[in-house]
Amino acid sequence: MIDPVTLAVVRGALEQIADEMDLHLIRAALSPIISETNDCAHGLYDPTSGETIAQGGYGLPQFLANMQWTVQRVIAVAAAEGGFADGDLWIVNDPYLSGTHLNDVVLVSPVFVDGTLFTLFANTGHWMDMGGSAPGGWVPSATEIHQEGIIIPPLKLFEQGRYNEAVVRLITANVRLPEQLRGDLAAMINVFAVGRRGLEAVIGKYGQATLRNCIAEMMDRSERQMRSYVAEIPDGTYAVHDWFDNDGVDDAPLRVALAITVDGSDLHFDFTGTAPAARGPMNISDGTTMSMCLVALKHVFPDVPVNGGAFRPTRFTIPPQSILAAAYPSPVGGTTDVVQRVVDVVFAALAQAIPALVPAAPFGTTGVATMAGRHPGSGAYYVAVYPYPGGYGASAGSDGLVNGTPPGSMAKFMSVEMSEHRYPLRFDYYRIREGSGGAGQHRGGCGTAYGITALAPCVVSILGDRVDHVPPGIEGGCPAAGNEVRIVTGGQVWTPPLRSKADRVALGAGDSIRLASPGGGGYGSPLLRDVQAVEDDLNAGLIGRDAAEAVYGVVVATETPVGNRVHRMLDGPATAANRAARA
Amino acid sequence: MVGIDVGGTFTDLFFSRDGVSVDRVLKVPSTPDDPSRGLINALTAAEVHPDDTGLIVHGTTIATNAVIERKGARCALITTRGFRDVLELGRRDRHRMYGLTGVQNPLVPRALRWELDERLDHTGAVLTPLDDDAVRALARTLMEQQVEAVAISFLHSYANTAHEDRVRDILLESNAGWQVVTSSSILREYYEFERTSTAVVQAYLQPLVSRYAANLQSRLAEQGFATPTFVMQSNGGLVPLRQLGGRAANIVRSGPAAGVIAAARIAAAAGFDHVITGDMGGTSYDVAVVVGGRPRVAEETQLDFRIPLRLPMIDVHTIGAGGGSIAYLDRGGILQVGPRSAGAVPGPVCFGRGGTEPTVTDVNAVLSRINAHNPIGLTHLTSLDIDGARRAIGQLGDSIGLGVEATAEAILTIVNQRMARRTRLLSVEQGHDPRDFVLVAFGGAGPLHGAAIMREVGVRTMLIPPHPGVLCALGCAIADLRYDLSRTVERRVSDVTTATVHAIFAEQRAEGERQFQAAERMTVVTEHAAQMSYAGQIHSLRVPVQSDWDLARMIDAFHAVYRAEYGNTLGTIPVVIVSLKTTVQGRRTPQAAKPAAPATPTPAPVTARRPVYFGGWTDTPIYDRATLRPGHTFPGPAILEQADTTSVIEPGMAARVDGFGNVLVEMQ
Repeated sequence: MIDPVTLAVVRGALEQIADEMDLHLIRAALSPIISETNDCAHGLYDPTSGETIAQGGYGLPQFLANMQWTVQRVIAVAAAEGGFADGDLWIVNDPYLSGTHLNDVVLVSPVFVDGTLFTLFANTGHWMDMGGSAPGGWVPSATEIHQEGIIIPPLKLFEQGRYNEAVVRLITANVRLPEQLRGDLAAMINVFAVGRRGLEAVIGKYGQATLRNCIAEMMDRSERQMRSYVAEIPDGTYAVHDWFDNDGVDDAPLRVALAITVDGSDLHFDFTGTAPAARGPMNISDGTTMSMCLVALKHVFPDVPVNGGAFRPTRFTIPPQSILAAAYPSPVGGTTDVVQRVVDVVFAALAQAIPALVPAAPFGTTGVATMAGRHPGSGAYYVAVYPYPGGYGASAGSDGLVNGTPPGSMAKFMSVEMSEHRYPLRFDYYRIREGSGGAGQHRGGCGTAYGITALAPCVVSILGDRVDHVPPGIEGGCPAAGNEVRIVTGGQVWTPPLRSKADRVALGAGDSIRLASPGGGGYGSPLLRDVQAVEDDLNAGLIGRDAAEAVYGVVVATETPVGNRVHRMLDGPATAANRAARA
Repeated sequence: MVGIDVGGTFTDLFFSRDGVSVDRVLKVPSTPDDPSRGLINALTAAEVHPDDTGLIVHGTTIATNAVIERKGARCALITTRGFRDVLELGRRDRHRMYGLTGVQNPLVPRALRWELDERLDHTGAVLTPLDDDAVRALARTLMEQQVEAVAISFLHSYANTAHEDRVRDILLESNAGWQVVTSSSILREYYEFERTSTAVVQAYLQPLVSRYAANLQSRLAEQGFATPTFVMQSNGGLVPLRQLGGRAANIVRSGPAAGVIAAARIAAAAGFDHVITGDMGGTSYDVAVVVGGRPRVAEETQLDFRIPLRLPMIDVHTIGAGGGSIAYLDRGGILQVGPRSAGAVPGPVCFGRGGTEPTVTDVNAVLSRINAHNPIGLTHLTSLDIDGARRAIGQLGDSIGLGVEATAEAILTIVNQRMARRTRLLSVEQGHDPRDFVLVAFGGAGPLHGAAIMREVGVRTMLIPPHPGVLCALGCAIADLRYDLSRTVERRVSDVTTATVHAIFAEQRAEGERQFQAAERMTVVTEHAAQMSYAGQIHSLRVPVQSDWDLARMIDAFHAVYRAEYGNTLGTIPVVIVSLKTTVQGRRTPQAAKPAAPATPTPAPVTARRPVYFGGWTDTPIYDRATLRPGHTFPGPAILEQADTTSVIEPGMAARVDGFGNVLVEMQ
């Protein structure tokens, strides 16, 4: 038995190593996506099982468990090639093995101590461009992965300390920003030296044997911790399904089915019944699907530790070659929207079992709008990217947040003033989308609405979802308003044929886009909502009088004009009577 | 002079007649209902007479508390049409990385947010003119809504203040009693959410802080003090009491800033330029980095979720680790400490106010690191409840199979590691090697834990200043006056002329110097900097520049700073000037203490001995800080007691007293 102090201290020290690796890369990377939105991850992994020993706390949620699955697959490939040797360094970005998309490049570094393999370090970082048919790797009309960029299968970048320069030359010959890529690669390799220094200090202090014991015990403790949460979920199978409106190429809905089975402290995620791989880019690999299930779980139980022990109670069934287990040559560029639905169905299934702990569905679409063109003055080419904020679902404890970031991300929205400095695009409004939160005892957060007018010709592409199938409520709460995409050209307002997806639409000066993201689902019956809260929502303009009367069952007592608005007071007793009659 | 730090629990006072030697140091309970009363109480308790002091400086938490507890003014916000919700929306985020629940509570609710037709572009050109009649109509509506303060924030107002200024004038014509704040007068920079939030914080606090300033002024007058009175700002500089209302947003977290200023000053005098400051109190541990004698400045801080304040502040990082932090077992059976705190009530078990969960203070009491018979800052008991603390720790120990002392020591190890981790990460985040730094440990609990933090982080020397428990009050007493000015440019250097840069600097300098006209005995020092980046980058770097430099020289300086920060440059990518900044400081005549003549090292007198637990009960010498003199040395393990705190010197360390009375602790 390890003494409890050493255990706690070693766990802290290993997490510190991973945290320091995160921070070093965030400082050193050239890719703004790494340095500004922390699109990276670092960790230590068991050299045999590939289980996560510790992972840094600064990287994005979406990599939570994805790193472990990737390392496990690299271990298998390395074993087939004779195993790891001291001084090896592996590289991979094949999304069917390493998850997410081609831009996320993973390095795996075996660490030998006194001649034996002690651990694997691994990191991932988002590189700006991997070639393919469009800069940045995002191709809404892609029907095969080759349109999205170059694939790097797992291979040795260093072999026993010898640098394979040829591999790097082959990669850089296929991308648009070769110098930046070399800089990011060097930064990611250097980070391992930082990690190794930290690990050597810990080994020096506790010795290899104690450290191994601590790591094994840590995993067991984390497993126990996770199991204690799962055990609180009533046994049973909780089945749900939800939809994607379409894949961006064919106009047909795609089904996402999930049955979560809780058996004691074991958790089984079964996606049987999910649609086969889409022709368009609305696909993700199974590693990303599994990772997002754990992200959703951690949003429900934030104290669960991030290591392989905590993942042990989970098991997955994902139909091969489905939209959630993409295989070659399916394109995967729609990952930003697909991952959101995985979180939605996990929440919806768990809400049947533990409604007091799970929020209703968040907005559920990243709806990336990309606007590109040339500055009228300088002629310089620009690409502006606007990803949706949206409403979060309500929960037993609170209403939903407005203007939330997607559950797998932490990235922010650009400042309007900054955007207008950079691009010939003008914001007409950026505001709360009134009435869009799902009604309920606790109301879902409203979506966000913005309009952008082009000051010079440009092209706009949009990849979103959740128009036909809106974010649902839970426990009697109502669904939120769905996504709304409008394009205004030559004075005509129109909706793109695929509603939420549009590929390279030409805008002239004065044309605009009008986007409105979904709100979050409501929690509980609207008839139970606190009357004062309904009155406040009315006077804040977050709901209208019609909805207040029809959905919330309130009775308005007085209306007083305040400027161009109306201040309303509700009639408490009449509301109670009216609600009782409707219940 | 007198420095007073009004905290949430205690009001600390530091008094020096000649500005060099220390005449009085004390702590009295704070009076949160009217903080000026606690301040007067401190003056009375210290027996400071109006003739004794030429200057009173104080730090206060009233601004911070009013925001956290939402006790500021009923305030309206006026924005450009289409942008009513900028304040509430923020920039797409959530409370924490994991967990999607919780909402925000904006300082101005939506019903009090109004729009006007007007629009500027990013150059300040008018796209939609302002309609005066619409402003007058809105003024009538705001009268009906009975607001006390109004913030005005229009898009791109930093590029042209005319519309904001015009609305302010019309509002004041309608009601001279309103406190009206324009965003461009508070922060002349782009980023609409951050600027709006900063202006709203100012408007929200201005009525309250103005009342506080007037109240304090009259209370001081009643006591016969006509003394010039200043308040500490979060940028580490002072503002005169009479101007306080207009600087309300600048005084949040002024206490921690004062502590860093004092720690940096003391360390510099003792010969240390690179400093990590560690301030541990009842609920939190504040850590900051000082490089080359200058505290690192943050451009922005979050007062609460989605309430950014974009004003320069001493960069102080806080984690929930303090004397009141509670120890518990997580679901995996692993021992954890904090961030949950027992607070002032019920407080630690050993304070006998009904606390039942073991805290860090209980651990220090049980291990006899603090003297049970001399509880610092407590008036309701004469000795700590050691038995109660042992019971609480023993219960926790039973579930992990450890005895009372071993459990206590485990809790200590874990809380120390948490503080050490944050300290290390802060220096690593900023690209420093902690071995190049000295740790200044202060606050009521800092010197109890400083030795462990120093050991864990790899710092070689710890400095314990003469009065670590009231260092923030001392920081108030020695700070300078300071004004920060900033203006967004956001243009490539090829689109800017040297003359433009010089003109902006000259304007900023004149505005800053105007603030000091009344102040005497002061040297005015002006410094300039440019925020610069490569075209396309979101993050910019602060580049110190001289007022007479041309653009070529500024670009060279940017490349040098970039290389120092990131190890390379981005070659031929064009450089952008994001903003130009000027800091005007009124330096008070320095009255530096002179070190005592070098003394031959002599052993310090031991005043008592008691068993203290260092891996086992160890007969440990106790030293009294009041009897220490320059040149005194003593080895660890040792306990150093004084009125405002207790210091622990671990086995394997040695302490000596320098010429300024600081205790320097080094690893052997």
